[in-house]
Amino acid sequence: MGDEVAKTPVSMEEKLAQLRAQYALKIEQRVDALQALVQNLDGAEDGERSNILTQLRDETHKLAGSGATFGFPDVTLSAREMEQACVQALVNNAGANDVSGASEIASILAGLCEKLRRATEEQEKEQVEAIAVHQRPEIPDLHDSFRQKVLFIMEYDGPTAMQVLLEMDHFGFDARIVDHPSKLMDDLQTNGDVNVIVTGLTFDGDDNIALNVLNDLRKDNLYNEIPVIVHTSLESMKTRLGAVRVGVKAYLIKPVDMADLVDVLDHVTMRHEDEPFRVLVVDDDESLASHTELVLQGSGMETRMTTDPMDIFEVLDDFSPELILLDLYMPGCEGQDIAAVIRQREEYAGIPIVFLSGEADKNKQLSAMEMGGDDFLTKPIQASHLISSVRIRAGRFRELRSFMVRDSMTGLFNHTTTKQLLDNEIARVQRSGADLALVSLDIDHFKNVNDTYGHGVGDRVIKSLARLLRQRLRSADVVGRMGGEEFAAILPESGLEQAVHVCDQIRQAFSEIVFHTDGAKFNVTISCGVAAFKDHNTATMLSDAADKALYAAKHGGRNQVVKAD
Amino acid sequence: MSEGGLNKVLYVEDDVDIQVVAQMALETVGGLTLCVCSSGQEAIEKASDFGPDMILLDVMMPEMDGPTTLINLRAIEKLQQTPAVFMTAKVMPSDVERYKELGAVDVIAKPFDPMTLATRIQSIWSESHGG
Repeated sequence: MGDEVAKTPVSMEEKLAQLRAQYALKIEQRVDALQALVQNLDGAEDGERSNILTQLRDETHKLAGSGATFGFPDVTLSAREMEQACVQALVNNAGANDVSGASEIASILAGLCEKLRRATEEQEKEQVEAIAVHQRPEIPDLHDSFRQKVLFIMEYDGPTAMQVLLEMDHFGFDARIVDHPSKLMDDLQTNGDVNVIVTGLTFDGDDNIALNVLNDLRKDNLYNEIPVIVHTSLESMKTRLGAVRVGVKAYLIKPVDMADLVDVLDHVTMRHEDEPFRVLVVDDDESLASHTELVLQGSGMETRMTTDPMDIFEVLDDFSPELILLDLYMPGCEGQDIAAVIRQREEYAGIPIVFLSGEADKNKQLSAMEMGGDDFLTKPIQASHLISSVRIRAGRFRELRSFMVRDSMTGLFNHTTTKQLLDNEIARVQRSGADLALVSLDIDHFKNVNDTYGHGVGDRVIKSLARLLRQRLRSADVVGRMGGEEFAAILPESGLEQAVHVCDQIRQAFSEIVFHTDGAKFNVTISCGVAAFKDHNTATMLSDAADKALYAAKHGGRNQVVKAD
Repeated sequence: MSEGGLNKVLYVEDDVDIQVVAQMALETVGGLTLCVCSSGQEAIEKASDFGPDMILLDVMMPEMDGPTTLINLRAIEKLQQTPAVFMTAKVMPSDVERYKELGAVDVIAKPFDPMTLATRIQSIWSESHGG
């Protein structure tokens, strides 16, 4: 399988960069042509002269109008200067046969043309640099998604250490091992960029040596930002306290199940950047609404405002807020009626609606709440109070909604949500023409695992695969558990070959994970079917194609990735 | 008047470079359907069948300029009320007044920013439908 997958231009940024490059190629020729025209101007006959000036005017007008669009703002400025000089010359020229005037105009235009050439050359250089920066695609390449670096300090012997490194690799971590805490400082100084440290506690029969090293680091304020996880057989409260005091984030008792360790690593390293809460502000008073927006934005929230409640559904559908701040009294309709109308739409039945109003009458407040409001804030309200009220309610809503859209065992999207997200992605690529691949994925002989080792072990296998998928795929990819041992992955901006390649890596990695249970060790494999949007243009056709390919993979002997026809 | 959102835009521009970048901005970013014409004459021929929701015109074009094209387009029955927007490298307040008298709802200055062109068009569309 070829490693070099041709990159197709996908994002708007990339396409723009290409157009800019093409424009840059042509612009030099265009300036050459202008220069030639200017040279002809000197000594030209009257009629011929106004003809040339008109051509010059039109061409510089075009350049002025397009330069900055393609990233050449100075070209726009110089070209406009030249255009104005031409216009002026044409006005003055009307009928006069003035030889010295003509050569004066020619020399002015020659100077301006020179200036335009310099602007062109300068900005071409800038463009080359800018294009180089811009060529990073918006979604990271499937092959090199971000990997966390883990440093192990452990007294294990060689083969065990190798096994740890291998399994870490399967879960998408880059692991490195040092065999004694005394080497920690040296390793961090030489190699750097460690995201998390995992350490044992007992070395050379001394239970304190690792904690002492960590303590020294903390005291000197060195590498404080790197979280530390302890894995040890020491269970005393005293050691646990000692660990907490030197800043240890998690304390695992040996023998440590690799799946548990990965869970903890995920937890301490993947500080999912919390997405900002989205709040819709509905108030007929634009200045008040803007003020509210500013307060919320100041605390990192994303806001949208509408002063016309009649627009509400349009804004709701477009912005999908997590909370609505609603003014109680607006001309034409009352906030409580709007709340009731919003509640009648099934998809917004659960969204928090908070009234914001000067109304101090408790009874009126209560009647507004009966119509579908969740809370009532009285204006004027302290900024901090507003922010925390909004944050608490929006946060709870987000959590509740995540129970509805995610599978509780794996945290992946559930069947319904995955289907919905596939529809959304398809609508998007139908507009943009970008690539999209869909993967259907199934654990081989899963029933045997359950029957032989019990459902508890089966669940662990499912969780491991879920974790592996999340680790190996990008954050823009949608990973769903479609039921039982079936999974699906939607890979935006990936062609068939790219998707097959990454699936095969995942298949390979999963087959190498060793599951331990009551003394027994076993491996599990998966089969994948992959289909691309460009071959199958609707959600149903794409799903069917991926399922068929999966079926073919199963029949072809399992533990393989098959492309859809 | 259709109740739906902005979808079809008739776009008249003689400069091919600008055509390409504007088309990309409006189709890729804005998700709009474009009928791109290189001259006023071509626009007049295609406009009726295409049935645009909005007309976007360059002002300075050889042969038939933008304002003249718009006057001709307005003569087509179903385009009498279609919002029209001029794009021009010369935005003098007096010109803007003149374009508006010709029935343009707004004027977009060239050079434009391709990343925000679609948003600009959408907001002009919303405004022309809000009032």
